[in-house]
Amino acid sequence: MTDGIKRRDFLKVLGASSAGATMTGCGPSEVEKLLPYVVQPEEITPGVATWYATTCDCPDGCGMWVRTREGRAVKVEGNPEHPISQGAVCLQGYASLQHLYNPDRFAGPMIREGDRLRQGSWDEAERLLSAKIGQNTAAGRDVMFIGGHMGPTMGRLVDEFLGEVNGSRVEYHAVSSAPLREATRLAYGIDELPRYDIESSDLLLSFSNDFIDEGSVEDDRGLSRMHSVDDSGHTKGTFVYLGPRLSTTGLNADEWLPINPGSEAVIALALAAHIADGDTAGPYASLLETYGIADAAVASGIDEDALRGLADRFSAAERPLAIGPGVGGHHKNATAANLATLILNDVAGAKGVTVHVGGGATAASAPFSDIAEAIERMARGDVGVVLVHGANPAYSLPEGSGFREAFGETSFKVSFASAMDETAAMADLIMPDRHFLESWGDSKPREGVHTVQQPVMQPVPHFDSKQAGDVLLAVASHLGADLGASTFYEYLRAPHQTMHADDPEGFEQMWREHLRTGMFGMGMMGGGRGVDSQPVELRMPDRPLTFDNPSFDGVGDLTLIVHPSPRFKGGEFSNSPWMLELPDPVSKITWHSWLEMNPVTAEGRGLREGDIVTVASEYGSVDVPLWLYPGIREDAVALAMGGGHTDMGRWATGQGVNAMDLLPVHVEQPSGALATLVTTVTVTPTGERRRIATIEGSNNQRDRGIAAAVAFTDLGHSEEQHSDGVGHHDELMELQGFGGVQPVDAHDGDPTAYPLPGADHGLYADAHEGPRWGLAIDLDKCTGCSACIVACHAENNVPWVGEDQVVMGRDMTWLRIERYYEHVDASHASHLDVRFLPMMCQHCGNAPCEPVCPVYATYHTPEGINAQIYNRCVGTRYCANNCPYKVRVYNWYRYTDENVPEPMNWQWNPDVTVRTNGIMEKCSLCMHNIRDAENRAALEGGREVRDGEVRCACESSCSAEAIVFGDLRDPESRVSQIINSERTYRVLDDLLNTQPGVNYLKKVTHHDVSEGH
Amino acid sequence: MKTNWLIGGLAGVLMLAGVAFVQGGGAESDAAASASGQPIAFPHNQHAGSEAGQNQMDCQFCHFSAERSVDAGIPPVSMCWGCHQVVQGSTPEQQQEIAKIQEYVDHGEPIPWNRIYKISDHAHFPHMRHVTVGLECQTCHGDVQTYGVLSERDPAWGGDNMGWCIDCHRNPPEGLTATDGSPIEQASVDCSVCHY
Repeated sequence: MTDGIKRRDFLKVLGASSAGATMTGCGPSEVEKLLPYVVQPEEITPGVATWYATTCDCPDGCGMWVRTREGRAVKVEGNPEHPISQGAVCLQGYASLQHLYNPDRFAGPMIREGDRLRQGSWDEAERLLSAKIGQNTAAGRDVMFIGGHMGPTMGRLVDEFLGEVNGSRVEYHAVSSAPLREATRLAYGIDELPRYDIESSDLLLSFSNDFIDEGSVEDDRGLSRMHSVDDSGHTKGTFVYLGPRLSTTGLNADEWLPINPGSEAVIALALAAHIADGDTAGPYASLLETYGIADAAVASGIDEDALRGLADRFSAAERPLAIGPGVGGHHKNATAANLATLILNDVAGAKGVTVHVGGGATAASAPFSDIAEAIERMARGDVGVVLVHGANPAYSLPEGSGFREAFGETSFKVSFASAMDETAAMADLIMPDRHFLESWGDSKPREGVHTVQQPVMQPVPHFDSKQAGDVLLAVASHLGADLGASTFYEYLRAPHQTMHADDPEGFEQMWREHLRTGMFGMGMMGGGRGVDSQPVELRMPDRPLTFDNPSFDGVGDLTLIVHPSPRFKGGEFSNSPWMLELPDPVSKITWHSWLEMNPVTAEGRGLREGDIVTVASEYGSVDVPLWLYPGIREDAVALAMGGGHTDMGRWATGQGVNAMDLLPVHVEQPSGALATLVTTVTVTPTGERRRIATIEGSNNQRDRGIAAAVAFTDLGHSEEQHSDGVGHHDELMELQGFGGVQPVDAHDGDPTAYPLPGADHGLYADAHEGPRWGLAIDLDKCTGCSACIVACHAENNVPWVGEDQVVMGRDMTWLRIERYYEHVDASHASHLDVRFLPMMCQHCGNAPCEPVCPVYATYHTPEGINAQIYNRCVGTRYCANNCPYKVRVYNWYRYTDENVPEPMNWQWNPDVTVRTNGIMEKCSLCMHNIRDAENRAALEGGREVRDGEVRCACESSCSAEAIVFGDLRDPESRVSQIINSERTYRVLDDLLNTQPGVNYLKKVTHHDVSEGH
Repeated sequence: MKTNWLIGGLAGVLMLAGVAFVQGGGAESDAAASASGQPIAFPHNQHAGSEAGQNQMDCQFCHFSAERSVDAGIPPVSMCWGCHQVVQGSTPEQQQEIAKIQEYVDHGEPIPWNRIYKISDHAHFPHMRHVTVGLECQTCHGDVQTYGVLSERDPAWGGDNMGWCIDCHRNPPEGLTATDGSPIEQASVDCSVCHY
């Protein structure tokens, strides 16, 4: 057989002949153009990234650094100097680039003619609006501005503009914290949101508050810091979740009290009564007398001992903190529930310690009653012109609110939406606003934090957009009003300029410094953390309140929980393929909507996962597939917001169902918020079934020890440590019996030991002298928020594949967060153990994928990275079949060409090859960033690459600080320091001898895990 | 070896491509520009050549980022115009071509050059790493300073052929030094140095 053609020769011949065919196909018609700048901007060097500081436009106001290449924004990062974001932003922040390059943005101003919208010029649009406003003002009818979140300067401009035209402004937020704000006003007389210092607390109680799901980067980091084991291994905070359904936030808890929906207030008051001593409860002392642990047990369905134990621990904690219901828990008594938690905090001594009042935060807390009143005025015909900015009430309000009818009957409707949405679809005039990455502005989420928003690139030329501030100034000028500036840029600068009127040069210098840092003023007063403007005392509420369990509408047998989606929030982020294809952090489902139901409930009704069911309330019904979830009470079901758009671009329209269709308009009293946890529903099967578009294989580790844990009390006793999972010697022996795995001398599992003994030839002869790149991932810190996945897609040009392809298992994500249930019990209060595990290519030192590749497309670099050479890959997929971690993904169709319309391809990272069909790909450990750092180091006198200089996209996006990249061989590197821990293990290494370069640190639990659970 | 004939065939195709290589010289006419397919008949030799009457400009005067970036950079139109506002050309052909620059400047449009030297998108070539060790541009691009209007690559350029890169990485020209001053005997031939 020595003369026979070998496998590799055969493939070589194939490769060569196809190359020949390609070459003859090349002709002069394929000449590529090389376009120089006309005038080179001095800050741009071709091939070198330019960074700009700016601010995200959500109410949290995270500071951003935006990476641009040749004038195009290609990646968003958190501004590490910013007190809120501290180097990370949330997943919507990373996905903001897809809204910037959204092909569904309007090409220019749109003017209605009958049923159609036609494109007009800006001059025409502004004159039309001016004329309409002029007519209506003359006729004595109102001009109304319905606005979502906006920065302080834009807010001031809107107010001045409305002052000129005698208009009125209405604030509207689909997701609003009005009950908390009202509760703070009632309790302390301060009409603001309090600041919860999660980071410094040692016992955290969340009463149905889903702060991670609502997108708070600061609180996500705070939870991670308070809840993970500190460096000394001595302290670890405790997190208890009290609520009917476990959100992403809830899944991080140590204990779950699956309370009756709406029973938060009674529990909080009973805990406070148990703790209160003498007159510590101030004016609430007599109220507390009427609430005992026994009452709370009845109201919540939780046994007395559990509640009493919790009260004792809360009382004993040095830095306790209780957080009241967020948007997913806004029932009919949500203000009372938030007030009850404030009382509990006050009684337990948390005020001024973990709860700070008077920080000046008021963002996104407008009551629903404001928009309800506006709807009434529109319906009465009092309003002639309505301008809608930064909000989509036609989608996000329940049908019963009457918004669509009232808005539809208003004679002139203007939308500032940059892309089509349900409200813009009804408008007579659309004046597309710029994306925030193309705009000037500012943000002031709280006292002490005032940041700059600046354009990071020229406006995307496909869309003739104009900043809303500039439009208002132009319209005001048409109406003969002078607002003191001709552009919004001037308007923004003016107050700062006035302060330095005597020193124009100094002002310019200072302004440049603002733009460089992204912040106004450098003394951030601790970033507004822990600032109490004045001592406050509990006071009697000036309104009557009901603390008892709320009633629920309807006669259904299941309570409906409607919560903001961690991906879409209230629905404003739905038209982004990154968001749609991102597996939901809880369900791991992509694209479509689902109804969560407890498996026990489903079994009792003969329902199975994937059954399409009709969910009906008195107010509407939707058909949606069922997903079985042990993390929800048996008497409740849950639906996420953000689906079921009827008019929001090519990806969101028709995708999923709109949970608001099931809700009545119930105005919570006294905050005026829209109640979301308010109705019961019936669930009946339609008889149809579908396959769920999930990336999840199993929610059970089946004792494989993939996501391992160790009990807190066992730390420091490594010789007798009971930790579950790792160490499968019996199974290993069993596999060996079948010839499966033959262990080799593996350096006793030393992660720096590479290459394998006997393999140190050729390129690998000196491999032990260079770095071995690797990761440390601390499972005790990871909260499962999934921002890393979006950041990875943005960084590495990972394509999305679409719902039908995900159903077929063809998703292409390089990084997924596995979620395993160890102990989830919705029947009574007990410990909770759910493990999140970020899983990417493990960069095995002894990689199963490598020997099976017939063309050497995957191999090991001397630096310990499992490399994938795209141009060598011929797509046999043997490697993926042999990968025990299922981290290799294959491009079945031309996802990068066909799925990505112009100009969304502008987002592509030019440093990373864009792969096409027939190619296998996977995590490269952000190889391009390593090369970039090496190039920089070489230019700087051939120095070594510094520790921390290279950061993977997942690392820099991790607000929980769970992921660290570095050289495993350098004992001083951060990654080496971290994995030098008794908690370190490597997934399946004991079983398969793969010697991964990715090292995990076990989750630490407060309960015993010796039984393997 | 069964595959030798195939390699020979490939070399043949490359040589055929080389036959079409055009070496112009001196001032170019409009006809030369259109024959080359370039929008302006730009003579590299007139700018960078060292013959009498040629200007001996350094490559990096115009390709300004070769020393500090992965991209060598092509001069912005304003840079061309910076000199040619003054240097108007001595022959009618030259004057005609130089006048085209002003049109681009006036219209604020880039000059749509045809790209001649390009390696595949799946290979990354950091110019600065090669320039800073002391390699001459000519080592890869050929004696561009002797060429007229560029319309084809130098036949010696082997950027389509990885073996050409590898040969140099294994046996670099003598006298190269790394930025820390150490002599370079070899460069990495690890796949992932260029492919990622």
